[in-house]
Amino acid sequence: MPTHDLMTPRERLAAIKAGRPYDRLRCVPSISNTTARVLGCKVSELRRDGETLARATIATYRRFRYDTVRVFTDLYVQPEAMGAKVRVPLDETAHLDAPAINTVAEIAALTPHNPHTDGPLPALLQATRLVYEALNDEVPVTCAVEGPFTLAALLVGAETISRWMFKEPAAAHRLLEIAYRACSRLAAAIIATGAAPSLTDAMSSSTVISPKHFREFALPYLKRLVGDIRERSGAAPGLHICGKTAPIWEGMVETGASCLSIDNLADLRAAKKLVGDRVCLMGNIPPSEVLLRGAPADVRRAALKCIREAGDNPGGFILASGCSLPTETPFANIDAMMDAAREVGYPVAEGLAKITN
Amino acid sequence: MPREKSAVYRDLSDAVLNLEEEKAAATAQEVVAAGYDAYEAIDQGLADGMARAGKLFEEDEYFVPELLIAADAMYAGLGVLRPHIKIDQSRAPGRVVIGVIEGDTHDIGKNLVKIILEAKGFETRDLGRDIPPAAFAQAAREFNAEIIAISTLMTTTMAGMEKVISLLKDGGDRDKFRVMVGGAPISATFAEKIGADGYAANAVEAGELAVRLVSELRGGIRD
Repeated sequence: MPTHDLMTPRERLAAIKAGRPYDRLRCVPSISNTTARVLGCKVSELRRDGETLARATIATYRRFRYDTVRVFTDLYVQPEAMGAKVRVPLDETAHLDAPAINTVAEIAALTPHNPHTDGPLPALLQATRLVYEALNDEVPVTCAVEGPFTLAALLVGAETISRWMFKEPAAAHRLLEIAYRACSRLAAAIIATGAAPSLTDAMSSSTVISPKHFREFALPYLKRLVGDIRERSGAAPGLHICGKTAPIWEGMVETGASCLSIDNLADLRAAKKLVGDRVCLMGNIPPSEVLLRGAPADVRRAALKCIREAGDNPGGFILASGCSLPTETPFANIDAMMDAAREVGYPVAEGLAKITN
Repeated sequence: MPREKSAVYRDLSDAVLNLEEEKAAATAQEVVAAGYDAYEAIDQGLADGMARAGKLFEEDEYFVPELLIAADAMYAGLGVLRPHIKIDQSRAPGRVVIGVIEGDTHDIGKNLVKIILEAKGFETRDLGRDIPPAAFAQAAREFNAEIIAISTLMTTTMAGMEKVISLLKDGGDRDKFRVMVGGAPISATFAEKIGADGYAANAVEAGELAVRLVSELRGGIRD
């Protein structure tokens, strides 16, 4: 696949930060297990050994040339390292079979994982280190960490944490404290590889919990986690929350995150208006409707729409998928997304004006 | 002297709406003590409260946890009232096989839909989560279901929904069932694309959709 890019992602990022001209908007299809399709291995092999995950992640970056490389398989690596039961099908994304604990009494025996010894985390860290060593000169490398609320929900089950927020708020906070400490440890271990943690907090979404519960149970721990990351690495992480997020955009900014990645259920134009002067925005091509099931022409249309909505965001804009891509997303659609950013080029407003169809 | 029926039903409805499990159970006891009709109390009290909670959910006033706690309150009331329901077949709006498709173990959405369907009087067979397409088809035939309700939260499993429909076609009895789909990554367009009969964006809509689909099926309407 020949790339028409004139700059590497690192060069582009440096130019954007310095306010110099660049070749195109940054573009990040949030690829997860599609890396197995690029490398030609089974999805389960990515989780089993760090070298395979690294090779798949590197090969996928080289195939598409997006602007941030993320080492990621699924959200269950931390819960598994803390005792949750995870099912790993041969060639599909892993899923949670049973939570780590079920009752308030069990919280007492629950401890944060050791990322260097527990569950699939050592392999994940090994992969992150290998990817960092191979690619960091060319492109920023990140590794996903779920937010404390999402981790807590996976540790005890979404229904139980929901009930605890109403009936056992003190227990919910005890669990969240443990989850926060685990997330912070994983983030520190990622920073030690050279890479940067990137936060994803699906369960904090206003599609799931109320903005009030977000403030009480998610935000304080996210804030501490972002603070820890900034203290250790000198840089604030990006934060992705799926689903509806408009009611919590202010809160997401309050975490200290540098970049908000929002779902296609959220409106980029409204986000730009409310918080766009304070943070970079990332979004929001529909991952399943358009990127998985659409044709390249649909992807191009959706990408141009996102760029028209937020390409001029004062805090910066990264063209991205609204959420992680399904494993079977066609390569042609990922290419079409990258090509849309290339077609618009720079300056963005002039590039958009030239496109009439 | 028992209180007016309507006041008691209103309290039942409010208890569910306001997430008060104990009050729902206590008010249900009051229904039984006063000798009021249990089904009517479920319909005009508990289900009404659940519908009002669902309305707040649609309006982004309530969220998933609020609906779960409302459901806890509804179940607390149902537990008291159920043994007192007089069986009347004409009231049963239909039979539903419900489950989460293979590859996915997220079942909050499915559980909420089941609660709403039961509140509407549907007989449900809950297959659980991570269910292979063939098991949906088989259970629907065994249970003599009119509705097959399939849920998923994960984009990775959506193809399984289509498979259920193709299995019914292969079996030659596609027309005996109405298939409804839902879950975060699902849309009306997707439902149409795979040949499902309906899509609901949330649990309350799913309840209304099921009622509509059953009357369609019984009326022999096939568009």
